[in-house]
Amino acid sequence: MFDLATVFEFTRDTVILTVGITAVLASLGVILCSSPIYCALYLISHMICLALLFLLCNAEFLAVVQIIVYAGAVMILFLFIIALLGGEKEIQENSLERSIAFGLIFILLGELYLSATVGPTKQIEGKINPEMFGTAKAIGLELYSKHIVAFELASAVLLVAAVGVICLAKFSFAPLKRR
Amino acid sequence: MGLDWVTEFLNELWDFTVQSLTDNVPLIVGSVKAVVIAVAIMSVVPALVWLERRLMGRFQVRLGPNRVGPFGFGQPMADTIKLLFKESIVQSSADKFLFHLAPAVVVFTAIVAFAVIPFGAPFEVFGQRIELWGANVNSGILFVFAISGMGIYGMVLAGLSSNNKYSLMGGLRSSAQMISYELTLGLSALSVIILTGSLNLVDMVEAQETLPFILIQPLAFLLFFIAGVAETNRAPFDLPEAEQELVAGFHTEYTGMKFAMFFMGEYINMVTMSALVTLLFLGGWNSYGVPIWPIVAFSGKVLFLLCVFIWLRSTFPRIRYDRLMTFGWKILLPLCLLNLLITGTIKVL
Repeated sequence: MFDLATVFEFTRDTVILTVGITAVLASLGVILCSSPIYCALYLISHMICLALLFLLCNAEFLAVVQIIVYAGAVMILFLFIIALLGGEKEIQENSLERSIAFGLIFILLGELYLSATVGPTKQIEGKINPEMFGTAKAIGLELYSKHIVAFELASAVLLVAAVGVICLAKFSFAPLKRR
Repeated sequence: MGLDWVTEFLNELWDFTVQSLTDNVPLIVGSVKAVVIAVAIMSVVPALVWLERRLMGRFQVRLGPNRVGPFGFGQPMADTIKLLFKESIVQSSADKFLFHLAPAVVVFTAIVAFAVIPFGAPFEVFGQRIELWGANVNSGILFVFAISGMGIYGMVLAGLSSNNKYSLMGGLRSSAQMISYELTLGLSALSVIILTGSLNLVDMVEAQETLPFILIQPLAFLLFFIAGVAETNRAPFDLPEAEQELVAGFHTEYTGMKFAMFFMGEYINMVTMSALVTLLFLGGWNSYGVPIWPIVAFSGKVLFLLCVFIWLRSTFPRIRYDRLMTFGWKILLPLCLLNLLITGTIKVL
């Protein structure tokens, strides 16, 4: 009468579907909401939903890093800027850009439909150690063995960007007088 | 005939219930643990308020609350009742939704962060292995940092939604301060991660079975504790709520229970931070030869650290805001990096 496996699958699917739909709705809120603060909050909730989706795929480390970096560090700066500049509501008006944007949405929906008709999704094949899957160790081993050059280059670029920001921020103003 | 199908249906339903219960024992145990931890951590708050007021009284050579009940034990109860029955004032210029959301975010993140804190070695009851933690997340320490990072939003949103300059300044200060000190916090925890080679809090405690890390990493301990005090917005780093200049900062406009929720969040964060320091540096539930239960050893260390938090508050004056940022970025952070460099070099050698 009841099959446990299907019940479990059903709950899992429901959770995935709920999180996914919430993510889509939140991202719609980002572009449709007129108040910048609420836009930022929608973006945060979208990122948390993405982290939950990572978690549902057992990618624990990735989920936590997603929350720390994007939902935590990046978005707090967004809110910071909104608070400093004042979050006034913007006035929505019809324009050419708006109609182009709606056109793009329909094209994307069409593409989604096409990709859905291609067929069932396949799992990635390859050597994956099930015990280490999704942990920091697995990512570290991968990053520091196969992709070391790209990794070091990326860190150099980030360092240059950080130094550049400090230069731009520091020397464009007269230094403050010490009291 | 008649009722046969009913009994059959009931039998199947019973079988299904039993089957699903036995299959979902981990889920049920997990839910029970979650409820127990949440309730326990929330009921610690009044006790902590009592402890703080009593200790502060002693530090300042006065008695502290001693009228309601024995030793003033009834005082937090009376305060809670008072706060619950206060009128909840929302000023008309505030953003209503965010105004209500902000304290909820603070308390929620504070409780969730405690979910991964282990407070004792696992033991067996009825053949079932009971572990004294809500969840043994593989990257446990990162989880705590992630969730406590989300807690900043509560303060920023409170500052933004109050539509008040003092609140806004408080919210901005708190976010700037917490972002700055989170770096120090993470980097000093990193030296412990290097030593244990794991992000898991249980592994960290097990690595300290013979020697607590405070003896190996005294500098990291000091930096972590200072950053922890700043991260929980406690004195002498309680700039976001500086009474003299900001009129209590981000919670100026809050009244009644919503006001109390910010305090709940702060006290729960204090407990979480003390627990983290205990786990990372003081050896968690290892008692090093003293014959007490692991959980008692753990709680004792946490209680001691909480008293140190209160001690700091009643000893040090508040630091000026620019000094605070300079201290964080120019002293703590370089020291952290240096410590990390030395630890890494020694580990590799």
